[in-house]
Amino acid sequence: MHMQPTSSMKEEFLQKWQMGLQIYRPLIDNTSVSERRKAIKLSADVAMASLRRGTTCWSRALIQKTATEDNFLVRQMLSGIKAETLINKKLPKVMCHRKIVRRSKKILRRRKSRSAIEEVAAKARKLVKKKTQGLRNVVPGGEFMSNDVLLIQETLDYIVSLQTQVNVMRSIVDAAEAGSERTAYYLGKLKFAIEDG
Amino acid sequence: MLEGLVSPESLSFSYADMSVPEMLKWLQQHQQQEVLSLSSNDSPELLQILQFHGSNNDELLQSTFSHFQMVGSGFGTNYNMGFGHSHEAMDGCISRTSSCQIHPPDTMGVMLKNSEENRAISLKNKRKSEDKTREEEKTEKKIKVEAERESNISNKEASSDTSKETSKGASQIQKLDYIHVRARRGQATDRHSLAERARREKISKKMKYLQDLVPGCNTVTGKAGVLDEIINYVQSLQRQVEFLSMKLAVTNPELELAVEDLSVKQAYFTNFPVVIASKPSVMVDVPLFPLDQQGSLNLSVSNPNQTSIDAPSESWETQSQSLFASILR
Repeated sequence: MHMQPTSSMKEEFLQKWQMGLQIYRPLIDNTSVSERRKAIKLSADVAMASLRRGTTCWSRALIQKTATEDNFLVRQMLSGIKAETLINKKLPKVMCHRKIVRRSKKILRRRKSRSAIEEVAAKARKLVKKKTQGLRNVVPGGEFMSNDVLLIQETLDYIVSLQTQVNVMRSIVDAAEAGSERTAYYLGKLKFAIEDG
Repeated sequence: MLEGLVSPESLSFSYADMSVPEMLKWLQQHQQQEVLSLSSNDSPELLQILQFHGSNNDELLQSTFSHFQMVGSGFGTNYNMGFGHSHEAMDGCISRTSSCQIHPPDTMGVMLKNSEENRAISLKNKRKSEDKTREEEKTEKKIKVEAERESNISNKEASSDTSKETSKGASQIQKLDYIHVRARRGQATDRHSLAERARREKISKKMKYLQDLVPGCNTVTGKAGVLDEIINYVQSLQRQVEFLSMKLAVTNPELELAVEDLSVKQAYFTNFPVVIASKPSVMVDVPLFPLDQQGSLNLSVSNPNQTSIDAPSESWETQSQSLFASILR
């Protein structure tokens, strides 16, 4: 039922990404490869996140994350409205509460009786909890999604956006490579022609 | 899975001191503003919890009517734009869960008016769902008459009361919606477990969507395996992004993607020998001294205003748009 990356999404992503790269072009310090890679990746991430226009948790968290690396770029890429939401950082209060809850649950659990079936079920539940925590670590802003339903919804949306991003970037890279190959090919041909003639 | 810190049920506990019919009457009397003020007084964490994402489930409503089941209410989408803006959060709609199950007639039906009263009432409720809620209440009555219930008599009275009141309320354009959960035979019917079951079903439904989305997930059974696959997939996508950006950084030293797009794709799809002058990194490897001086070979398509290639560039401009679009597909 959920969507695949649509062509309109891809186009919008490409536009925003190019806009971000335009911001980098006048900057002269993009000389090293790592600098350029960082610029490309950051503008791609912000472009992907801005597709959602602040409606999803992961997109806001991703924008905040890139803002810590390059505040200027993010502010330029987004309209003025978004700049304020960057300042409103999510409070880590929620995380602290979960730790306290977890600790108190641990203490309570020691008193519970253990049967064989219960132990197996408990282990399965533990495993699932570990995996959900792992998912939280991967999805941007996941630490703030204490609600599991929200986490899964966000993951869905994040995956679709990632697919869009990867699709567009790959097609650009392929086109760029094809172009460079073609030029190299023709240059080689001409070189031979010159050497022969 | 992990229980949320503030579950929806906890919101209802603040009214535990009131009896059920009292509570429902209170609800009839007090309108949206009451609930809004209550919720806005709470901590911003609750607002986060109340930040629901939903989809428009009109087709779901249709199916429920046809089967005369417990009806879920309409969905809305609430987008929390800022964290300090409590009222903005309430401006959007709320999503209400619906779990509809078809059961054979020997099962018990339990009407559960859940903690819907405690949630913010939607201001942007669509007209469709409004009309449907009125119809819903009619079907509610029918189901109440037909269903067997082992719940308390007070519950019965309360629900029948509310049905009358809500039918009146519907005529007064009230926007109360209920979460109806049907309990299977032999399962606990208290609010906690029912709400928890509804939540679990929601989660499993979403996990099914994820399974469809992530390739290779269908073979794995069990939540842990599916989650594992999802994590791996997301990580691989992120790694791909890094790799592709590195590749681009290497092949395109001046980040001229905007310009290069068209020219590169033109070069790719047409058979013109095009030398893209904006890529010195490629040219470093090939000795170009004789070539550079030959102006005729230095066709730079990157500048569409160049006069040296007038006729082809015009067609390329139009072609590039379609090529551009075709690459994106």
